[in-house]
Amino acid sequence: MAEEPESVLQLPSTAAAGGEGLTDVSPETATPEPPSSAAVSPGTEEPSGDTKKKIDILLKAVGDTPIMKTKKWAVERTRTIQGLIDFIKKFLKLVASEQLFIYVNQSFAPSPDQEVGTLYECFGSDGKLVLHYCKSQAWG
Amino acid sequence: MEEDEFFGEKTFQHHCSEFIKHSQQIGDGWEWRSSKEVLEVPLDDAEATETAAASEVIKYEYHVLYSSSYQVPVLYFRASFLDGRPLALKDIWEGVHECYQTRLQQGPWDTITQQEHPILGQPFFVLHPCKTNEFMAPVLKNSQKINRNINYITSWLSIVGPVVGLNLPLSYAIATSQDESNAL
Repeated sequence: MAEEPESVLQLPSTAAAGGEGLTDVSPETATPEPPSSAAVSPGTEEPSGDTKKKIDILLKAVGDTPIMKTKKWAVERTRTIQGLIDFIKKFLKLVASEQLFIYVNQSFAPSPDQEVGTLYECFGSDGKLVLHYCKSQAWG
Repeated sequence: MEEDEFFGEKTFQHHCSEFIKHSQQIGDGWEWRSSKEVLEVPLDDAEATETAAASEVIKYEYHVLYSSSYQVPVLYFRASFLDGRPLALKDIWEGVHECYQTRLQQGPWDTITQQEHPILGQPFFVLHPCKTNEFMAPVLKNSQKINRNINYITSWLSIVGPVVGLNLPLSYAIATSQDESNAL
């Protein structure tokens, strides 16, 4: 049953946390289930090295966590997980004692300083990064 | 108690074993050590993480143990300056990542305490395991719902590690999904 991944993923060291302005994160559309439209354009060619480019994130709730009315967001690549957590907590109006976790692959919590651009490179598909979020009263 | 919420010692060992496999592949230094005399088995991070704090370098050492009483893994850790001076609990609290500071300040003694390592007999800091089931349950339930196996240790450590400076490489997340596809 031994499995051998084809390659070991070499990642660049995590950069410092990106800009924290809330204006970076903007909804693509107000409808809860956006149909494929020009607002969300997967797989467009953009020049590489353009670190200002935004990536599409689809947020899904886990467990009893409230579902966000707007699930699809365009987020700057340099936005960190911590920044995204803060944003979702404000959006959902969570209280200070509530913790919010974000997962990739529905199982792994990236560290708070991880940039969403890197996560998109590793886990994105169909032009978007699916992230699951879950609130909890507790940690540790 | 549902089967999926029961995290027995054998399950712990199995998940640790899978976790170690990936660790060996990427060379980040986790080792499995068992003690024949004691039931709890430590998983040591031989390659400590070094973090700069002010102008000092701090060395962290992490151990994963199994708690029979809580039936969950527990994270033990200690930190010292390169000259060997250990960090105090106050320093540890101050070093906790800012996104967890609010919660920590509400109940510092509930979260990080100082205890004797059950095997090494030396003082370690411990991330209290009493709430582990609470934050792991939604992840486990969800994995059941989508009919996908997860590695408990990987998921758990990815959640608690960053609180105390331990950040798992993303390749662990990918390794887990490859385990799943090969498990058919």
